[in-house]
Amino acid sequence: MKLVIDDVRCKGCNLCVMVCPYHIFQEGRRPNRRGVFVPELDRPERCTNCRLSQLYKRRLCGVCQTICPDQAIKWVPEAKHEPHKVVIEY
Amino acid sequence: MTRVDFMQGNIASAEGALAAGCRFFAGYPITPSSEVAEHMARRLPKVGGRFIQMEDEIASMAAVIGGAWTGVRSMTATSGPGFSLMMENIGYAAFTETPCVVVNIQRGGPSTGQPTLAAQGDMLQCRFGSHGDYSTIALAPSSVQEMFDLTVKSFNLADRFRAPAFLMADEIIGHLRERVEFPDTVECTPPRPIREGMLPFEPEEDLVPGFTPFGHGHRVHVTGLTHNEKGYPASTDPDLHERLVMRLIEKVERARHEIADYDIENPDAEVVFISYGVPTRSVRQALLDAPEGLYGHLNLRIVWPFPENLLKKFPNARVFLVPELNMGQMAREIVRHCDQPVISLPRLGGELHTPQYLLDRAEEYR
Amino acid sequence: MTVEDWFRHDRLPHIFCAGCGNGSIINSTLEAVDSLNWKVDETVFVSGIGCSSRAPGYIVTDSLHTTHGRALAFATGVKMANHDLNVVVFTGDGDLSAIGGNHFIHACRRNIDLTVICMNNQIYGMTGGQGSPCTPTGALSTTTPYGMDEPAFDLCDLATAAGANFVSRWTSYHVRELTRSIKLGLQKPGLSFIEVMVQCPTNYGRRNRLRDVEAMVSKMRDHALLKEKYDRLVAERKPIPEGSFVVGTLTDRNLPALGVRR
Repeated sequence: MKLVIDDVRCKGCNLCVMVCPYHIFQEGRRPNRRGVFVPELDRPERCTNCRLSQLYKRRLCGVCQTICPDQAIKWVPEAKHEPHKVVIEY
Repeated sequence: MTRVDFMQGNIASAEGALAAGCRFFAGYPITPSSEVAEHMARRLPKVGGRFIQMEDEIASMAAVIGGAWTGVRSMTATSGPGFSLMMENIGYAAFTETPCVVVNIQRGGPSTGQPTLAAQGDMLQCRFGSHGDYSTIALAPSSVQEMFDLTVKSFNLADRFRAPAFLMADEIIGHLRERVEFPDTVECTPPRPIREGMLPFEPEEDLVPGFTPFGHGHRVHVTGLTHNEKGYPASTDPDLHERLVMRLIEKVERARHEIADYDIENPDAEVVFISYGVPTRSVRQALLDAPEGLYGHLNLRIVWPFPENLLKKFPNARVFLVPELNMGQMAREIVRHCDQPVISLPRLGGELHTPQYLLDRAEEYR
Repeated sequence: MTVEDWFRHDRLPHIFCAGCGNGSIINSTLEAVDSLNWKVDETVFVSGIGCSSRAPGYIVTDSLHTTHGRALAFATGVKMANHDLNVVVFTGDGDLSAIGGNHFIHACRRNIDLTVICMNNQIYGMTGGQGSPCTPTGALSTTTPYGMDEPAFDLCDLATAAGANFVSRWTSYHVRELTRSIKLGLQKPGLSFIEVMVQCPTNYGRRNRLRDVEAMVSKMRDHALLKEKYDRLVAERKPIPEGSFVVGTLTDRNLPALGVRR
């Protein structure tokens, strides 16, 4: 799963920055088109839910999603990972 | 077979409500309407309905609107001071198009006034009392039988127009005991359900939207803010607000001739009494006491929306006399619609005009 | 269903200011409702007037946005007319305790089967930051420019005294605990009152030296005193930290309730 912030809904309150135990959310530095400083994601693949939700078939942690007053945080399924075929020539 | 009983007007109104299928009553005790609540408290649990005594009339009206939105016919009963408290939520009911019935057993006002005596002082309040523009339906019974019949009718009109309907009775009729005939069945026309594909506040041909009660999967948002046809707030759109308010008024007002309910006596008379509610009884006696055909009489059972074309049914009328238990509240409305002089015959203090008084006054204009 | 399915997505984003915690409380409520597998078509959200009361408009169920302070009276009507509906009331501190105070104590006395979620931001947010009955003594607002000189209401004590079956208090920072608490309240027959302290950076924080969201939320977090700890401090006769408020389940009992679904 992939963590995303909906930058149409986000109002830049940075509550997610306060609560994430992995400090994945960093305060935004550049305003978007509507002038909102949307937080930036620092290596989101560390997120528990990204890694394990499909394994456990439920949402894990998820504090950022619950506390986000603007319903802007969600997880979307990632494109299925296909291992690269490596042809080894002898 | 019809059942015949001898009972009080307030009880007849409660029986009318039960016959019309009212299954939710929220009220607060107030003289002279308490018997309606008492009777509903006794009877509703036995017919599968629910009665609740709220903490005040504001809450009563609120609970009635809440009940009405679950699709149950809902009613409250009150008198002047309570009616004033209900005004806020009556405006809400008008704006959110909630069908509900308020029985107002009018008493002498302003303020606490004369709790045990009759008046008709709330006739303009029931039409204009809440802030903003809207239109309502008001019925005025003049006998105990009419307390029953018009209560049933109030429910049908409220449901048809999705607007609050008022039964504007008074203390005399409320506490009068008379013979009442209960028909086996009464006409009950539930609100029209919403049609497939329509939005919850999208009006049909007759400007009334189909009803979307809670718990039936309509997922409707009901708000007292100016709302669009989806029911979503859009309170800063001037055109939308204008359209909405105009429709709320128009849906009731344009049916005023069609739903008019009245009696006419001696249409050729030159001096005509116009009355509604309890003064009708005095006028009827006065007409009996006067020489045959001398005075005309128009008795209105539906007062609001005011059916002004009825005034044309008296082609020879030179003057209209309007006896009321107030300082001429409906006389003001009648003046707006006719060229003849309109003489208000106010009576305050709780007693009726005597037939002799009416005859004496009519004599002056003959 | 998931929490996402409970929102009216065509109405989002909502009107709450940046940093307002009302949205978090909506999330918590919907998570609790969703975890109980309540049906959308059997649930009604009712509210009065104010910031908090805009919440039902963003939820996909039948919802009733009523007049100021009267939400509980409307909800009483809905619940009494149809016991089979699950009724949840969103309200604010001004809506509930000032203009709606009478309806509040009577709903608690009747112990009617509603869940009342009060978003207590200690101020009238929507009208521009006037003092409310829950504004703490000394706090500045537009109608208390020299500091609030009246004591504030303790809504939880009020609800308990009036007879509510379940009373708890959390903050919009403690979303996990709040979700659990709301879930308990939803399941409880009778009136469940959940007071949620919520930050209002726009109208409260701005005037009370809590300029940004983080300052407001941190203050709320640091002054929340768990009920268990509070009881221990009282038992040990130790001082209660200044400015703290008790959070946790404050009342949980089974008095006879009205309007319970059969």
